[in-house]
Amino acid sequence: MVARMGNHSYPTLQLSQRIGRQWSNIEATRALSNQKLTELEEALLNLDSEDTSIVVLGSLGRREFTSDSDIDWNLLVDGIADPNHHASFLDIQKTVRRLAVKPPGREGTFGTFVSSHDLIHRIGGDEDTNANLTRRLLLLLESTPVGRPTAHERVIKNILKRYLFEDRSFWRGSGQGHHIPHFLLNDFARLWRTLAVDFAYKLRARSGEGWAIRNIKLRMYRKLLYVAGLLGCFFIQFGFEPDDRRAVLGDEFFRPQILEIVHGVFSKTPLDMVANFLLSRQRLDGTASRLFEAYDQFLGILLNSDLRNHLEKLSEGDGNDDSVYQEARKMSHRFRDALLDLFFDTKELAPLTRLYGIF
Amino acid sequence: MQPLGYSTGALALSDYRKALEMLGDQPVTAIELSAIRKGELIPLLRSLDDLDLSRFGYVSIHAPSEFSPEEEGWIFQELYENRHRGWPIIVHPDTLHDLSLWKRLGDLLCVENMDKRKPTGRTARELGLLFDALPGARFCFDLGHARQVDTSMVEAYRMLRDFAPRLQQVHVSEVNTQNKHDPLSFVSILDFQEVAQMIPPAVPVIIESIVSREQIGPEIERVQKALTTPHGGWR
Repeated sequence: MVARMGNHSYPTLQLSQRIGRQWSNIEATRALSNQKLTELEEALLNLDSEDTSIVVLGSLGRREFTSDSDIDWNLLVDGIADPNHHASFLDIQKTVRRLAVKPPGREGTFGTFVSSHDLIHRIGGDEDTNANLTRRLLLLLESTPVGRPTAHERVIKNILKRYLFEDRSFWRGSGQGHHIPHFLLNDFARLWRTLAVDFAYKLRARSGEGWAIRNIKLRMYRKLLYVAGLLGCFFIQFGFEPDDRRAVLGDEFFRPQILEIVHGVFSKTPLDMVANFLLSRQRLDGTASRLFEAYDQFLGILLNSDLRNHLEKLSEGDGNDDSVYQEARKMSHRFRDALLDLFFDTKELAPLTRLYGIF
Repeated sequence: MQPLGYSTGALALSDYRKALEMLGDQPVTAIELSAIRKGELIPLLRSLDDLDLSRFGYVSIHAPSEFSPEEEGWIFQELYENRHRGWPIIVHPDTLHDLSLWKRLGDLLCVENMDKRKPTGRTARELGLLFDALPGARFCFDLGHARQVDTSMVEAYRMLRDFAPRLQQVHVSEVNTQNKHDPLSFVSILDFQEVAQMIPPAVPVIIESIVSREQIGPEIERVQKALTTPHGGWR
């Protein structure tokens, strides 16, 4: 069992305890996720190897699984190409179908083979397709290996190695003394905008089907992915004293250590990445409370099959008069406002947000 | 100058005399006598007094890489009886069945990190558990194995960071997908350079690349390039 499947204590739970709140839906989806991951691990035993990892993404990867969630997964191959990988893939597919209430998304981004070569080498340019971009960055932001983690960890470290080692200004520092991985941050921004544009694309392609639920998901968990990406990119700026930061990042000797640290940052779930930032900033407890309460309410909707089904079937034309959708929309505004407070109203994040999050 | 040499097994398999002869005119000051197959152990150990190793400032012995629990006793005993030579004994951690036996070698026992087909000793975490059980043991850092397990070189970095005080010697080669020890390529040289600074200049380097007589010299040059730090030349 991989270490991060543990449910005993995690940053979001620690934050809720510190500020004296209970986010019962976050806790419930966390428990359901761990239960499903254990179930999958037992069912998929021996179908992976040192060169392959079975990776789950989406709600299960984020530990936000509900009984109505699909299971997004990929077979990540980082090693010798072997025709028998296909047999392993079919076994995994069959097993996951048996354990999931519905198949992965229709775009073919999940439920497939993924080669590390494409993820590591095709960053930017014409060959970096929408699917490749999505797979690569979701691997960083919301993925969990089921079973042997070796290939998964190795690929993530190598993706981060490309983003960090090829980013001169990250090591050298900006004129303002900031050490921000622009290459990585720009790709997170690209993912967020791609997800937003694809919302419009899917609306058209599917004639409005599933509009309401996708709209709320875009406003909540997809936005959360960008938030986690930004905070991950800002981590090095806050993780060291200014003099230490300059000394460490200016010396090539420490590059593997920085890579290890950044890998550790992105091994947390998106919610835990936000909670981790807020845990050491008690002055932001009010913002933390509003942010996590809104997200907890969002997960409450997904946990409630009636509400979820209602939103899945709601047509765009009926949204304005629908109380469930309108309430969900208000919830998403509270989430957005808390994020705006976090990113613009604090002395730490506001300058970085202005400089790197916008232009 | 960093002590540098070859594994006799990489040059001539079980024919250690031929390997020593092949190194005759090479600028090497270290040697690892290989008994990687258990049948090679007795002939090697019995001939140690007859070998002229005077040119080598550093000598180690590589223990067999596979033996059963029933064979462990005599293999250990043979090696143990040579402890007076003070030569480190390189072992693969997955071969050790009875750790209490091997503990008796104290700091002559030198545990090597493994390639990814092995069940243990592949990562810093797995090695940490072994060193907890073998507190006196030293560390043989195999750069090729570490790179094969994690091409990002973070695992290599972790091993060098966590086990620096135990570092006894370094194995260098490019470990390919079939787990064979190849000569260094352009890419592996670049990867090795990323952690080269963490290897102290006094630590002996043993080349494990399987090369012909003609390629011994060029491979030494490639290894020196791989272990060249960004701030200077070969140490």
